[in-house]
Amino acid sequence: MQPTRLARLLLFPLALLASRGYAQAPILEISGANFRPLPIAIPAPQALSDDARPAAASFDEALVLDATAAAIFQVLDRKSFLADAREGFTAASITFSRWADVGADALVKVQLAVDGTSLRGEMRLFSVASGKEELRLVHVVPLSEPRKLAHFFADALYRHYTREPGPFQTHLAFIHRVGKNREIWLSAWDGRDAVVIAKDGLNVLPAVAPDGNSVAFTSYRSGKPDLYRERPGAPPVLLVSAGQMATGIAYAPDGKHIAYSLAQGDGTNIWMANPDGTDAHAVTDTSYFINSSPSWAPDGKRLAIVSTRAGSPQLYLLSLDNPKDPRRLTFQGNYNQTPSWSPRGDLIAFTARDERNAFDLFTVNVDTGKVNRLTQDQGNNSEPSFSPNGRLIVFTSTRNGPPQLFVMTADGKNQMALPMERGEFDTADWGP
Amino acid sequence: MAMSGGRGAPGRTTMSEINVTPMVDVMLVLLIIFMVTAPLIQQGVKVNLPDARAQPVEATEKRLVLSVDREGNTYIGDTPVPSDQLEEKLRANAKAQADKEIYLHADRDVPYGAVVEVMAAAQRAGIPAVGMITDPAGAPRKKDRR
Repeated sequence: MQPTRLARLLLFPLALLASRGYAQAPILEISGANFRPLPIAIPAPQALSDDARPAAASFDEALVLDATAAAIFQVLDRKSFLADAREGFTAASITFSRWADVGADALVKVQLAVDGTSLRGEMRLFSVASGKEELRLVHVVPLSEPRKLAHFFADALYRHYTREPGPFQTHLAFIHRVGKNREIWLSAWDGRDAVVIAKDGLNVLPAVAPDGNSVAFTSYRSGKPDLYRERPGAPPVLLVSAGQMATGIAYAPDGKHIAYSLAQGDGTNIWMANPDGTDAHAVTDTSYFINSSPSWAPDGKRLAIVSTRAGSPQLYLLSLDNPKDPRRLTFQGNYNQTPSWSPRGDLIAFTARDERNAFDLFTVNVDTGKVNRLTQDQGNNSEPSFSPNGRLIVFTSTRNGPPQLFVMTADGKNQMALPMERGEFDTADWGP
Repeated sequence: MAMSGGRGAPGRTTMSEINVTPMVDVMLVLLIIFMVTAPLIQQGVKVNLPDARAQPVEATEKRLVLSVDREGNTYIGDTPVPSDQLEEKLRANAKAQADKEIYLHADRDVPYGAVVEVMAAAQRAGIPAVGMITDPAGAPRKKDRR
């Protein structure tokens, strides 16, 4: 017995290392022609008590949604599963050949337990080929927020396979159309767990603030468009009220500046200020044209803007060192709008009107100018916004009739509607 | 981005392509059957394989194996699956749907009808190729596998 116990003691730290597994996990290269999504089996989570069952259903829905939207996994159909429903939770008690027979490369098992007012989840990730546990995580959330637990685990899976941060614990700000009113809402990345930020009147162009808990937006509540920032349950803070109209706020990546457009006299120009609206100064100074819709480069030194200086609205790159001489980025089409600069830096997504007067989404490569079409023949598609990790894009689409929020990859694949309640939603901003 | 052309040219109605629809229909009805030699397949379900002198296909990649044992029980891999659930399980099975090919591992004493039923289930599930696992005649028979 003695040598065995000694061996166990020696092996224990090794087992811990193996369960971290970061060193051995295969890295999924997300882009490229050879990309193949990883077949992953996610059986329904096991609720350890009856009171965990309602939370388990919400958790399950959110985890499968995240894994599907991530577009790095092929989430296997549960109808094909061959494993015994009472199969265990440890590598030793799992019959991996049955998971191999349904084509799974990876297996995710989750146990959920209720502890007072909290929900405790344990997730284990197994490699089906080796039969080894690759990742083990425990996380606790309030019992009322089971989807948060799913987003946490989904981000962990994403990071495990890509070494990149996942996009699932971030936030969306969007517009809910109610009659003539335009409400601003703030939600989890998937449009769920939404709270209202601004309810009455016309509120447009939301931007998630760097703290992820408040939203800056353009509101007509004073009679003309001004910029406000608001968090749930707190009074609105006026940021900018100047000129005839101030619209379209965008936060710098470091959160230390805002950019917006301000109409004065015959022209509309891009302005910059501190996040509270102080120290405002003009960036562009064309007298007669419109310059609007700023979107920051991840380095914080450049802006993508829309300008009509050549006649039609086109995308321009503006270096803050030399803002008088922007570089034109789009030459096709006569109506290119709403740029969103990828946090990865390489692409700018935008809305364009094509020759059949349909609005569709495109990306333009910042360095090469190469344009790539992302949507086609699916109603109008507009207002793209990159996920904070730059891999996904949320956008508005009328393909099912009323405007709804959709998500897809940065190259237009895996387009799917967000699981929101019925209603009309548009102009999403995907922020921290 | 250029999407003009090809539309609205009245009067020009000549079809210049071959209509492939009937041909595709015929293709879908066909089930491709081939022979696979047994020693290459290690399977948990014990069946007594038929001998065959046909030219076998070398099994290079591991395919999903359906088994039918002497009593007529059906298996996917080594998991027992009732025959009336085979079609649904196969239709959802990512591996079989990606390979478009399965191997059938049936006991020599199973009625022909039972085997055809399994093959038909595979075909209905959208898997057009079925490899029949046989013992190559003359080869030393491997009994007591596993």
